[in-house]
Amino acid sequence: MLSRVANLVYWMARYLERAENTARIVDVNAQLVLDLQSRQAADDPKSWEPLVYVTGDEDKFFELYGEDVTERAVIEFMLFDKRNPSSLISCIAYARENARCIRDQLSGDVWETLNTFYLKLKSDDFARYAQLGSAEYLNRVKTQIQLLFGVADSMIPRTDLWWFFQLGRHLERADNTSRILDVKYYMLLPDANAVGSALDMVQWASVLRSCSAFEAFRRSRRGQLNLERVVDYLLRDAVFPRSILFSIAEAEQALGQITAAGNHLDDNPPARLLGELRTELEQIAVPTVIADGLHEFLDDVQMKISDIHAAIQATFVDYPTSGARVLA
Amino acid sequence: MADLFANYEHGKFYDEMFAAPGQARPHYQRLQERFGLMANMAELMDRQRTADQTFIDRGVTFTVYSDNAGTEKIFPFDLLPRIIPAHEWAHLERGLIQRMQALNLFLADIYGPQRILSEGIMPREMVETSKNFRKELVGCKIARDLYVHINGSDMIRDEAGLYSVLEDNLRTPSGVSYVLENRQVMKRVFPNLLRDYRVRPVENYTNDLLNLLVHLAPEHVPEPTVVLLTPGVFNSAYFEHSFLARQMGIEIVEGGDLVVENDRVYMRRTDGLAPVHVIYRRIDDDFLDPTVFRKDSLLGVPGLFEAYRKGNVALCNPIGTGVADDKAVYYYVPKMIKFYLGEDPILPNIETFLSGNETELSYILANLPKLVVKSVNEAGGYGMLVGPHSTRAQIEEFRAKIIAHPRNFIAQPTIGLSRCPSVCEGGTIEGRHIDFRPYILNGETIKIMPGGLTRVALRKGSLVVNSSQGGGSKDTWVLSDDQANPPAPAPEKIIV
Repeated sequence: MLSRVANLVYWMARYLERAENTARIVDVNAQLVLDLQSRQAADDPKSWEPLVYVTGDEDKFFELYGEDVTERAVIEFMLFDKRNPSSLISCIAYARENARCIRDQLSGDVWETLNTFYLKLKSDDFARYAQLGSAEYLNRVKTQIQLLFGVADSMIPRTDLWWFFQLGRHLERADNTSRILDVKYYMLLPDANAVGSALDMVQWASVLRSCSAFEAFRRSRRGQLNLERVVDYLLRDAVFPRSILFSIAEAEQALGQITAAGNHLDDNPPARLLGELRTELEQIAVPTVIADGLHEFLDDVQMKISDIHAAIQATFVDYPTSGARVLA
Repeated sequence: MADLFANYEHGKFYDEMFAAPGQARPHYQRLQERFGLMANMAELMDRQRTADQTFIDRGVTFTVYSDNAGTEKIFPFDLLPRIIPAHEWAHLERGLIQRMQALNLFLADIYGPQRILSEGIMPREMVETSKNFRKELVGCKIARDLYVHINGSDMIRDEAGLYSVLEDNLRTPSGVSYVLENRQVMKRVFPNLLRDYRVRPVENYTNDLLNLLVHLAPEHVPEPTVVLLTPGVFNSAYFEHSFLARQMGIEIVEGGDLVVENDRVYMRRTDGLAPVHVIYRRIDDDFLDPTVFRKDSLLGVPGLFEAYRKGNVALCNPIGTGVADDKAVYYYVPKMIKFYLGEDPILPNIETFLSGNETELSYILANLPKLVVKSVNEAGGYGMLVGPHSTRAQIEEFRAKIIAHPRNFIAQPTIGLSRCPSVCEGGTIEGRHIDFRPYILNGETIKIMPGGLTRVALRKGSLVVNSSQGGGSKDTWVLSDDQANPPAPAPEKIIV
């Protein structure tokens, strides 16, 4: 397929997945804040600060909103502010732009569902969010995006168009799940003794819920909720669709479909990098990762995902024309 | 029985349907009877709504794109067809074939030996000052010696019913997707009427176009790759580009998708560079190759011109055809027909005055309030003065322009375009002015789609058929046989 079209559908999927996860990240924080026991703590501006860091957009935030990290500022920045290129509305707007360019190749239904959602979302603001309540509002957003994925799943033919969609979606999800895990890192506990406390457990439960993983976790591990188990589950569960390992494996499969047709791509950089990351996740010992610093490990995973992205672009989209393979 | 045409106002123009008030022309009688069977106007309006909805459902829209709405509009469609009897069509077809032959020979000549200039039929500066003349191509060999592949001549009928050519469009004539979609809708709305009339099908057009494109490919390529080059999704004709690409099963590409290496054109695919042999381009010459034409063009492909000149890729239409739809060059088409074919033109031009010509200039300047003045290189109604509808200040402004640059203008008398009954807002049937754009393909043979785009000025009294100014379209029915259906037409001396 045309490189331009592949790139458009890949980014469309990334934006949609990012939009969904932005809603999830806001959701986990809102729940964590509620879980803080004292009312005073809930009002503490510090309780919304983690979101600013976890998305990696803190410079932009401070530039736009100053040093005062209120709930309202964070919500506006992450959901409704078009000046923030990673906000929910920005992601949906970009996804719609891309879908429009390849509308005739997608399917009318995908475009219409996305367009309708965008038009509705565009008139939303903090007041609407507050009126419905965080949980309800974010739930509606998530449902809309999942509707879109559902329509795409049942409408897009399984050509390269679909596999680039899947590749973008799962790569983005792997990155986003690592960021959701990282929220907890920034969420301070009252003191060092609180590690393993009831509050700590409540917070981990919220992290799981934000990935819709709580019940699945319970069923699969049948045991105590603790740091190690939760990290292990979200990092490398082999069957839970939002775990990082699972997402990387899905991306690897999608890439395999793309390169299956042409044997010249048997050994290609993105496949190699994806394979390396998958193997690493399969082999790590979670206690060691935690001992060495979970935050640093997640940072490293995000760097590797970013390298995989660069390799995908260089292999399929921005490859140099001179010396490129000429097809018969 | 209700007569939906009972209150129809005939008017002083040529009416496509009625020879005289209440008296339908033979080829419209069946339609009149059939419409008489409808209970009332409400039923007709129901069908109109069905048609409109069908366009929306099929996505036949042009987008008025803005962030606020991203709204889709349909090109207004009028239910009442324009019917062209077989004998009239045969005449049009002969005339259009003749014109296409002459235009092709003209382009071959001015990009070759330039006999028409050296023999003084046409002044040399007429060609050399045309901004669409590409002197870089003089002497260049063109695929299959076809110097123009697609023409969409705009035609009108005057007060006497005489068909004439208003202008030629030899660059990238648009609108054919509406012709094809209009027919699909009519098949749903009036299936029986279409069958009974034995209307000639238009559906072969995309097949003929694809055959033409494949025919242009370099001869040694067994299975050529054809692509459609679009300026992109924000172009107002993007629907048509994507429609035609889908109908022909070819890739739709933007400039950035194409690259030139060693004077060969490739498209960038995820698995490598795929050779491209024929480009159906919907981009003007100016924007095709920034290394040769406009440097600021982001739509084009650097190096494309050289690949084309070397014969490694064919372009449809070829580069440089625009010189023949320069409105001052148009003036010479009847002379070209005589010069190249030794024939008299079957279809006349509109009477035209060249301001570049001394005597005609003085006539133009003396009669500005009566004339339509057009800028020679503009299309779509730009750079135009309609004398009878202009203020004195506007007329004086044009007078100054004409005197300053006589080569840039032509003038024509104001023509009262023929009218055709149309369904109007508020549920009445009234006469509205129409024009006609047939599509002529010049490949192995010259093929003309039996039909074309009939545009209608839906605003009362308006002569402007452009969609931006309240224009719409009608389906155009070319009948396969006047004898069987309907009964042989009474001879009408005013027609052709």
